[in-house]
Amino acid sequence: MEEKIKKQAGYAIEIESLTKTYGKKRGVRGISFAVEEGDIFGFLGPNGAGKSTTIRSMLGMLHFSEGQIRLLGMDTKKQQKEILNQVGYMPSEAFLYPSMKVKKVISFAAQARKKDCEKEAARLSRILEVDGEKKISELSLGNRKKVSIICAMQHKPKLLILDEPTSGLDPLMQEAFFGLLLEYNSQGTTIFLSSHVLSEVKKYCRHAAIIRDGRLAGTDTVANLSRTNLRRVRIREKGEEKEFVHDGNIKELLVRLNEMDLEDVLIEEPPLEEVFMHYYE
Amino acid sequence: MTLLKHELRAYSKTLIIWMMCVGICCFSCLLLFESLEDSMGEMADMFSAMGGFSVALGMDKVNIGTIEGFYATEVALIFALGGGMFAALTGAGILSKEEEGHTADFLYTLPFGRSQIVLWKYAAVCLLCLLFSAGAVLWILFGFACMGEMPPMREFLLYHAAQLLLQIEIGSICFLLSSVCKKRQIGGALGLVLILYFMDVMCRIVPAIEDLKYVTPFYFANASDIFSSGMPGGEMAAVSIFAAAASAALSFCIYKKKDLS
Repeated sequence: MEEKIKKQAGYAIEIESLTKTYGKKRGVRGISFAVEEGDIFGFLGPNGAGKSTTIRSMLGMLHFSEGQIRLLGMDTKKQQKEILNQVGYMPSEAFLYPSMKVKKVISFAAQARKKDCEKEAARLSRILEVDGEKKISELSLGNRKKVSIICAMQHKPKLLILDEPTSGLDPLMQEAFFGLLLEYNSQGTTIFLSSHVLSEVKKYCRHAAIIRDGRLAGTDTVANLSRTNLRRVRIREKGEEKEFVHDGNIKELLVRLNEMDLEDVLIEEPPLEEVFMHYYE
Repeated sequence: MTLLKHELRAYSKTLIIWMMCVGICCFSCLLLFESLEDSMGEMADMFSAMGGFSVALGMDKVNIGTIEGFYATEVALIFALGGGMFAALTGAGILSKEEEGHTADFLYTLPFGRSQIVLWKYAAVCLLCLLFSAGAVLWILFGFACMGEMPPMREFLLYHAAQLLLQIEIGSICFLLSSVCKKRQIGGALGLVLILYFMDVMCRIVPAIEDLKYVTPFYFANASDIFSSGMPGGEMAAVSIFAAAASAALSFCIYKKKDLS
C-alpha cells in the first residue's frame, strides 16, 4: 500500500482504505481518495456521514484502525507535528478560549508555529473586519469563525482544511472569505473544503468527493459528478400540473411519457442540490 | 514554554482567588491566637486529653497553647485542605477542559504535538501548586510577623515542602482523572481530597486501618507530626512521589492513545 502511495507524487492529500470505527458504532469504512496539490477539493455528505471523522483522522485527533493517510507527502501517524506546521485547519464550530482576547488567540496560534505572522494577521483582520481587542466570549459564531479563519491562514499554509467554513458568515463576508481562498490557492495552497452548501462547491471546487453512511459514494470533477441521467419532468395532463424526477434511461422516460395523455411537457436538468441528494439517498 | 505561559495565564484568576482565600484565612486564624491566648493554657490540657479526637487532630503531640502548636493543629488544617482542593481542581480540569469547551479542535491541530501538550500541562499543574504554596506561605509568615513571633523555620519549611508534595500527588491523580474524562470532574476531585483527609483522621484513630497511612498523603504531610518530630514520614513521602510519577506517566500513555472530540 505504501509503495502505491509513494508513486502518487504531487498529491496534497492521499487517503488509502481509511477505516475508523467507534466500538460497535459506524465511523468510516474503506475511504480512499486523493487531492492534487493546488486543487480546491469539495467534501460533501449529509450529517453523520463521516466527514468530520475523516478530517479528524487526517489531523491526528482520531486514531484510525486501518488504512493510511498522507498529507503533503508525510505520514499522519509518524510526522504529525511536521504536517500540522504546514496545515491550516478551521473547525466547523470555531470554539476558542472565551476569556482570551482575539489578538492573543491569533498570536498564540502564530507562536505555536514559531512564525512571525503579524503582517498577514493584520491584513486578514482588516479584510474580515476583526477587532483584536474584543474577548472571544463577546463574539458571535460568525465573528469566532473569522478569528478561526485568521488562525488557519495567517501562516500561509500549504494545505487548508476547512470544515463548514461559511456557516454563520454573512454573504458579504462569505464573498471576502472566498476571495481570500482563491488568492491563497493562486499562490499554491491546496484547499480541502467540507461543506453542505452545494452552490459553494459548484462555484469554487474543481474536484469533490461524496461520502454517505461512512463510505465514499463518489469522487470526480464537480462537472462529472453533476452530470447525470437524473431529469426533472414537469407535465400537464388533463389540465392538471404534475412533476416527477426520472432517474435512468432516457428512452424509458420517453416511453413512459408516450403512454400519458399529455398536453404539455418540460424536461430539465435538476439543480445541483437535487443531483447531490441523489448521491446521498 | 508557549504552552506553559498559556496555561498559567488561563489559571491566573483561579490561582489568585485560591491563594488569597487560603492565605487570608490562615493569616486571620493566626491573628485569632492573640485573643485566645489567655484561655489557651486550660484548653491545651483539655484538648490533649481527649483520646482519639486529640490523636486525630495531632493535639497529643503539640501544645495548642503555643503559637507553634496552634499553627500546627488549626491553621495547617486550613492550608492542607485548601491546598489539596486547589491542586485537585487544577489537575482535574487541565486536560478535560479542552474537550469540554470544544477547544481541542483548536489546540491539538496546532503543531505542538500531543506529548508536548500533555507534558507542559502537567508542568503547569506542578508550577501552579508551587505558586499557590509560595503565595499562601507569604500570608502565613506575614501573620507570624504581626504576632511578633516566627515559627521554627526548619520544621515550617519541611511542613510546606511536604504540603507541596501532597498537592502535586493530588494534582497528579486528578490529572489522570482528567486524561480519561471528556468533562471536568470537579465533584469527584473535591470528593477525593475529602476522602484522603478522612482516611488520615481514621487511620490515626483505628489501629486496624493504620496501613491507610501509605495511601493518604495527608498522613506524612501532617503539621503536628512534623513540628513534633522534625521529620515527615520518609517511606510515605516516597510512596507519594511514586504515586504522582505513576499517575503522570499513566495520564501521558492514556492521552497519547485517546481519540479527541
